[in-house]
Amino acid sequence: MIMDDVAEAETEPRPRRRPGPLRLGGREFPPERALVMAIVNRTPDSFYRPGLTWDSGAAFERVHAIVAEGADLLDIGGVPAKPGPEVTVTEEIRRIVPFIDRVRAAYPDLVISVDTWRHEPAQAACEAGADLLNDTWSGWDPKVADVAAEFGAGLVCSHVGAALPRTRPHRAAFGDVTADAVDRVLLLAGRALAAGVEPDRIVIDPAHDFGKNTWHSLEVTRRLGELTATGWPVLMSASRKDFVGETLGVGVDDRLAGTLAVTAVGAWLGARIFRAHDVLQTRQALDMVASVKGDRPPARTVRGLA
Amino acid sequence: MIVRAALCPSPPLLGLGVTGQADVLPELREACEAAVGWLLAAAPDAVTVIGPATTTATWRPENAPDLSRHAPRPDPLAHRADAPPVPAPQLRPAPPLPLSLAIGAQLLDAAGYRGPRVLQSVAESASPDACRDLGRDLAADAPLTALLVIGDGSARRSAAAPGYLDERAEPFDTVVEQALRDGDLPALAALDPDLARDLLAAGRPAWQALAAALTPARPRARILYSDAPFGVTYLVATLDPSAPQ
Repeated sequence: MIMDDVAEAETEPRPRRRPGPLRLGGREFPPERALVMAIVNRTPDSFYRPGLTWDSGAAFERVHAIVAEGADLLDIGGVPAKPGPEVTVTEEIRRIVPFIDRVRAAYPDLVISVDTWRHEPAQAACEAGADLLNDTWSGWDPKVADVAAEFGAGLVCSHVGAALPRTRPHRAAFGDVTADAVDRVLLLAGRALAAGVEPDRIVIDPAHDFGKNTWHSLEVTRRLGELTATGWPVLMSASRKDFVGETLGVGVDDRLAGTLAVTAVGAWLGARIFRAHDVLQTRQALDMVASVKGDRPPARTVRGLA
Repeated sequence: MIVRAALCPSPPLLGLGVTGQADVLPELREACEAAVGWLLAAAPDAVTVIGPATTTATWRPENAPDLSRHAPRPDPLAHRADAPPVPAPQLRPAPPLPLSLAIGAQLLDAAGYRGPRVLQSVAESASPDACRDLGRDLAADAPLTALLVIGDGSARRSAAAPGYLDERAEPFDTVVEQALRDGDLPALAALDPDLARDLLAAGRPAWQALAAALTPARPRARILYSDAPFGVTYLVATLDPSAPQ
C-alpha cells in the first residue's frame, strides 16, 4: 500500500452499529440466536479431512447431514486458504457454482455462504443463489463488495493484517492485533455500506490464523468483546485451526475440544456466527452457552423441581 | 363461609417457564386449572389461598408470585454488547411469596381471577390444634370465600424420589386420598404431624386447616389427579361443602 492510500484510509469512516437482527437471504436472525455456519469444501486439499466433500455426491450427502445436525447456513469454498496449486477463477466457479445450484434447488430457504475473495466467483455464486460472500482475505478485491450490493447479498468483512490471499503468516507483528482487527473490519464495513451493501447484511470477522500467529489468535479471542462491542455481528472462524492445535499440542484430528472451548468463549463474548466442521457439537456448545446466558430456556428441567 | 374448596400441589415445575422448553406433566397442570376453574365458577366474593411455608403469616397479595428462588433467570438484556457488564442491583418491592402461595397465586392469575385474594401461609411445624384454629378463623370472618388449598403428599414414594423410598409413604398418601374421597374431615384432622414430617408430606398443615374450615360439613369430593410421577404425591381435588355426599 502506498502512502497516499494509507492517508486516505485514515480519513475513511469506521462506522459502528446498534446490535440488531441479521438478515441472510430471506431469513432474519435476532441477536441472541447464535448461528452455525457449516463448512463444505469443494476442494481436494483443505487442511481438515482433505477431499471429504470433493466428490459432488459426497458433498451433497454432507449437506443433508449437516442440515439435520442443526446448521443454520453453509459455507461453500472452492479454494483452500493455504498455499498450493493455483485454482483459477474458472476452476473455482466450476467447483462451486453447479453445487450451489443443486443445494439451492433442494433447500430453497437454506442460507448459502460462499468462501471466496475474488469477484468473478462471487458474482457467479450470487447468480446461482448465494446469500452471503465470506470474503476471508479482507477485501483484497474491492469488487466483491460491489457484487454483494448488486445482488442484495451479505458480506463478511475480515482482517488478515498484511497477508495476501493464500499465504501463511511469516513473522506477523502488530502493535495491538485486536485494535488492528477492529480498525480494519470497521473500515471494510464502511466501504461495504458505501458500495451499497445493506447494513443488516454486513458481518465482521477477526479471521483467526489469517495473517496471525497463535499468540495473535489467542489475543483476539480473549478480546473478542471489543469486536462485538462495535455492534456488527461477529463471525468466529476457529474450527480446528492451527492456533488450537499449537495451544494444545495436538493434530487436526484432536482439536474438537479446543475448538468447542474457543467457541464457548466467543459465544459468551457475543459472537453470532460460528464457522464449524463439527456441526452437532458446535450447536450443542452454543445452546449450552445460550442457556447459561439466559438467552435459551433449557430443554427440560425437572431435577429438584418436583 | 367457605363456598367451595380446591386442592392443588405445589411442585416448582408447575411455575411459569420453570421446566424450560418442555411442557412437563401437562395433565397435572390441566387438572389444577380445572380445579381452580370450578372454584371460581361459584363467583366467590374472595379467594383465600392457604399453603405451607416456614411460618404462619398473611402475605400481601401484591407480593410477586415469581419462582426466582427455584429458577433464577437473568435479565435477558444483561449480556448484550451495549449493556453494562454487571447489571445494576434491583430493589425488590416486596419479598417473593413462599412456593405454595406463589403457585396458588399463579394458578389464580392463569385463570384470570382479578378479585380480592387472601394469601395465608401455615407453618410446616404447626400443630394440628394450631391448624384447626387457623382454619376456623379463615371460615369465621370470611364473606363468601373460595378456598384454594396448596399441599403435596409424600416426597418419599420411590427410590428415585427426592426423599428416597419410605415404605410408610404410600399408606399415608392413601389415607389422605381416601379421606378426601369420603369427605372425612376428621381423618384429615387426625393426620400425625411427626409421620407427615418424616415422609416429607408438606401438605399436612394446610389440609388440617382445610378440615377445620369446612367442619361440620361432609363435602362431596372429586379427585382430578392423583399420582407421584417423580416420587412426590400430587393430589388435585375439588370439595363442595354445600352438596353432601
